Amino acid sequence: MRRIRSIIVDDEELARSIVHEFLTPHSDIEIIAECSNGFEAVKAITELKPDLVFLDIQMPKLNGFEVLELVDKNLSVVFVTAYDQYAVKAFEVHAVDYLLKPFTKERFDEALERARQKVARNESFPLSEVVADARAPDVPLERVLVRDGSRVHVIPVDKIDYVEAQDDYIAIRFEGKTHLKQQRLSVLESSLDRKRFVRIHRSFILNVERLARIELYAKDSRMAILKDGTKLPVSRAGYEKLKGLL
Amino acid sequence: MHPILANQERLAIYMLAWLIFGGMLAAVLALPNDFLWTESLALAVPLTVLYGAICLSSWYLCRVFPLHKTGYAQLLLLYVIAGLLTSSLWILIGNGWTLLLERLSLFAPLNARFIAKTPLFVGVGFILFTLTVAVHYLIITFEATKVVEQRELQSRILAQEAELKALRAQINPHFLFNSLNSISALTTQNPAAARTMTLRLADFLRRSLRVGAQEFIRLEEEISLTLNFLEIEQIRFGSRLGVEQMINEPCTNCLVPPLILQPLVENAIHHGIAQLVDGGTIRLQAEWSGSVLRIRLENPIDTDRPRSRRSGFGLENIRKRLKAIYDTDADLRTEEKDGCFTAELSLPAQTSRAFSSRHRADNGSGLRDVSNN
Repeated sequence: MRRIRSIIVDDEELARSIVHEFLTPHSDIEIIAECSNGFEAVKAITELKPDLVFLDIQMPKLNGFEVLELVDKNLSVVFVTAYDQYAVKAFEVHAVDYLLKPFTKERFDEALERARQKVARNESFPLSEVVADARAPDVPLERVLVRDGSRVHVIPVDKIDYVEAQDDYIAIRFEGKTHLKQQRLSVLESSLDRKRFVRIHRSFILNVERLARIELYAKDSRMAILKDGTKLPVSRAGYEKLKGLL
Repeated sequence: MHPILANQERLAIYMLAWLIFGGMLAAVLALPNDFLWTESLALAVPLTVLYGAICLSSWYLCRVFPLHKTGYAQLLLLYVIAGLLTSSLWILIGNGWTLLLERLSLFAPLNARFIAKTPLFVGVGFILFTLTVAVHYLIITFEATKVVEQRELQSRILAQEAELKALRAQINPHFLFNSLNSISALTTQNPAAARTMTLRLADFLRRSLRVGAQEFIRLEEEISLTLNFLEIEQIRFGSRLGVEQMINEPCTNCLVPPLILQPLVENAIHHGIAQLVDGGTIRLQAEWSGSVLRIRLENPIDTDRPRSRRSGFGLENIRKRLKAIYDTDADLRTEEKDGCFTAELSLPAQTSRAFSSRHRADNGSGLRDVSNN
């Protein structure tokens, strides 16, 4: 029988050790790594491709949701948290397995059993729905996370010049660099601050602070000229949005 | 708002009383056989009800000259003049009414007989006017008592709410559940450590419940409680959490509001140490400079962390408490520089309660003003 390869992610050693202890009697589970922060977790999940992750939410560098955002979703996740009112509500709604610290052995075994079944069915994690519900309401995104191999780049949103849609990816331009991320432009748009970032075109989101002027090229065809001279197309709807904001 | 006019029920009772007075006056007129019953009723009832309406205006006098703030002689003079004027007005109106009734020739001539009764009308008018004044003063006193009762009730509710909030703030859910999880992990690996942590947690909770009920505690006790808390967190975070303290000896006798440092250390852990892979050291300092007690807490932070996730509600809570206790004499300043977060608390350095009780009194009246608005 193939063993279930698992990773334990928690910044507290004691918290990792209790998960380790409760897993020991289950011979079908193999612990392949233990991580103490978000960066380590992304690296381990990307390189080792585990079947199952026990994931703490509150951690240094990246929280549990940000870790999941950056890795392949075809793994099974059991969240482990002490207290997080928004997240727990989201877990209930989307039938995500979670453990509230401290937890009993029985409760742990139940969660593990459900995770086993999900691994067997090869179910992937419904990340975007859960993350949308788990975030505290009305808090716009402050940084965009991009994974490059097993390295994580953290881009504060005010450093972003603009974002361009390219097939299944988005290209994030900042400080003269470009990072690609597998995400839909509309998903990013909905989590950014609407007062600072405007969808000026089907394929572009612009940081309004970078805008120098708007030029009219032909009837209903405009170009946004950025402070560094870059030219971006502006659709009619995008122009209306910009006008409303400036 | 007029207390009788604004309340339909009161107005009905009031007017009914005047209707009865009217009936009584009619009887007084009819019994000596000077007037027929029909004549006396037609004369007295409408006049008395109208007079009742006029007497309502005495409320404005009652409001301008409150019972306790006006001298008795002044009150006496005021209401004798007002009563005579009002009843004279009534006589004038009565005169007009009798002339009108004569013109309609429903009754035998009335006016001459009415004028003969003027002294009676002036006397009755004066008595009824003073009676109305008394009723108005009664109502004013009654309503004032009700307002005071309501204020007291409201301030009691506010105080209870504050106490509840303080209790809830003391037991931070992150701290409590993570600590319990550490204990759960330690029970199998290191039972002795599990016991130590359980006892420390119990000690911390018991002590914070006890001091939470006090108005002020000595800084020494507050700091010992803070260190107690940090010891528990040290078990949880292991080598990631270091603690250093530099407490100037004389400061330890100063009085501080209980648990005022608790939100600061919780922030230092939650937004500082817990967000750093390698943790760091929390520094606690206290010094006495002039008349000011300065308590400073420093902790390292992750500068890459989004700003909005860094500060908690705790700071706002401390500021509110300081304002309520010391008004503008205390201050909480925070600064973030080179990966280090500093919170500095400045309080009046006091070792006795004299100062505190004066401020408590101020604070008490402040609370009532708020509920009044």
